[in-house]
Amino acid sequence: MTHYVRCSSIIVIALLLCLLPAAAFAQANGGPRMDHENTLPPTPVGPTPRTPDGHPDLTGLWNGLADNLLGVPNQMHNVGIEIGTDSTRDIYSGLQIATWPLQNRKRQNNEQSERAATLLRRMGSNRPLYKPQYWQRVKDLDANSNEEDPSNQCMPAGVPRVGSPSYIAQTPAYLIFIYPGQGGLIATQTSYRMIPTDSRKHTPLDDLDGTWNGEAIGHWEGDTMVIDTIGFNSTSWFDQLGGYFHSENMHVVERLHRDGNTLTWTATVEDPDVLLEPWTTTPRVALLNPDPKAVLPESLPCSERDLAHVVTKEHH
Amino acid sequence: MSARAKMTKVSATRVLMIAALATLAFQTAAAQSNLAQTSAAAKPKTVGTANAAAASGNTSEVAKTLQAAAEAVGLARWSGVGGQHLPEVDVITTMEIWGSGTTYGQGQSYKPGEPWPAFKTDYHAALDYNPPAMRVEMTRTIPSAPGQGGAAPQHTFQVVRDKYAWDESEIGAGLVPGKGTATPAMDTANGRLLQLWILPYGVIKAALAAGDKTRISTENGATVLTFPLSGQLAGVMVKATLDAQNEVSKVETRADNPALGDLLTETEYSDYADHGEILTDVKSPGHIIRKQGGHPVLDIQVKMVDANNPYLVFPVPENVKKAAAR
Repeated sequence: MTHYVRCSSIIVIALLLCLLPAAAFAQANGGPRMDHENTLPPTPVGPTPRTPDGHPDLTGLWNGLADNLLGVPNQMHNVGIEIGTDSTRDIYSGLQIATWPLQNRKRQNNEQSERAATLLRRMGSNRPLYKPQYWQRVKDLDANSNEEDPSNQCMPAGVPRVGSPSYIAQTPAYLIFIYPGQGGLIATQTSYRMIPTDSRKHTPLDDLDGTWNGEAIGHWEGDTMVIDTIGFNSTSWFDQLGGYFHSENMHVVERLHRDGNTLTWTATVEDPDVLLEPWTTTPRVALLNPDPKAVLPESLPCSERDLAHVVTKEHH
Repeated sequence: MSARAKMTKVSATRVLMIAALATLAFQTAAAQSNLAQTSAAAKPKTVGTANAAAASGNTSEVAKTLQAAAEAVGLARWSGVGGQHLPEVDVITTMEIWGSGTTYGQGQSYKPGEPWPAFKTDYHAALDYNPPAMRVEMTRTIPSAPGQGGAAPQHTFQVVRDKYAWDESEIGAGLVPGKGTATPAMDTANGRLLQLWILPYGVIKAALAAGDKTRISTENGATVLTFPLSGQLAGVMVKATLDAQNEVSKVETRADNPALGDLLTETEYSDYADHGEILTDVKSPGHIIRKQGGHPVLDIQVKMVDANNPYLVFPVPENVKKAAAR
């Protein structure tokens, strides 16, 4: 639900709302998973089913973690930080990060908690490498994300910011991805993608009108589904936060690999207009929902109502 | 209000308020449960990078002191964003510091025995602990020296990342063809890197990393931590004094200096506060004074700090890599 609002620590109600969604939605989706003692990815269990044509079957409801609303892999892992009970590691650099066990934790009020969360979400070292002339712009966008982040205006997340799909349907010629609208770290509307896997070629870039999700075409490389997407607008950000803007020439290559009941997703962003080199997200691992009767709940509509009341630059 | 907002049929505020109260109740219960655990808990297991358990007799005292120091400056923070039962972690990766004051021309007295010349200085440091890197931008205005006229302000960018050090003609010079010049300055790498590790956050991180080599003592009623640096700064000993609020108030190091030999560097930090335009609860010193060999080299009043792990990158230009390889 937080996708309808933005967080300002001065506005107490908004703060509460920032912490609300996991409890409110996850409970409706199989119970809250706020009891994590680590943010390690799930260990694969069981065989990987295959379709009649021999490819891994990606079909399923990939929200089994159920900790970030609809099972999107948890936020700390998304930024590349693995937190164990008494150790923490930056996945990208391998750096071990000082860790103090929970029992010594000081009580935090909501304002302190939200400020800590803002730091935590930015502590990973896997940062895209922009050309120097854009370094200040990225910082400014992030610092002013209350106004600048398109998700705070109820805009779609777009690819690849939208991340790993919560539901996949696989046919011989198409993949259908569903991304339920959700709150929490970023506000996203419900969106879907219909991705052909019939060996067709991309439309020439000049003939495409830039969109949030672009033109996606999938193909198999061994057991990995590779989705190649071009034809974006330049409005979206390409990661969950950080002010990571891009040009209309962005090219995204997503990789999805199923191992038993886990689905690992990464995206590589190429944008020679603004980046010095391609950037790849930290792998995100989704868990298959174990409940065969589970369905995606309806997403509430997006409604931005807080921007006019924000009085500081504090943000997610 | 967006067009979609107009379309909404939900009274979002009402729903959210009710749910927020429910969330509060949930969190309160969880917090109480956690505090109950705290009261029954043993002392901290480990605190260091890689959680190398200290083996000396004062292990728990060192651990307790370092946790207090880490919490005092807002470095150790609860990671509950990923789950209610996660531990506290070190959240400081990148930071920017802006200040102004005076720097001094090291060993550049106009006459033997006179103080080193003073420059009015605008100071801007961008730093990163993962990987270790720092960019110091200074604009130094040279006041008229005795018998000499003034000179144009000097604007410098001094960068270090791991073993690489270079000077930039502009921020990010040497990365894009035709955009500035990056001049290798390898012999300054250790000195520049030392500046990163003697900042209060660097001191805490390095003391944690030193594990059981970190010692604790008391001098004039103040807590003192002593530990060695490692990696390319191996051999450098750090002595850090904590004030009554467990903030790092003074840091002393001895390091090789090409010009001055085994040089004592003393840095004093005071006036701690959250200096961010966007508040983070990270406390930074408001006043930094540094002396080398007893001479003042830097006296900066901090104007602003961005401790929110801002986007800072330190790619090494190709020509600098090549120079290092030679």
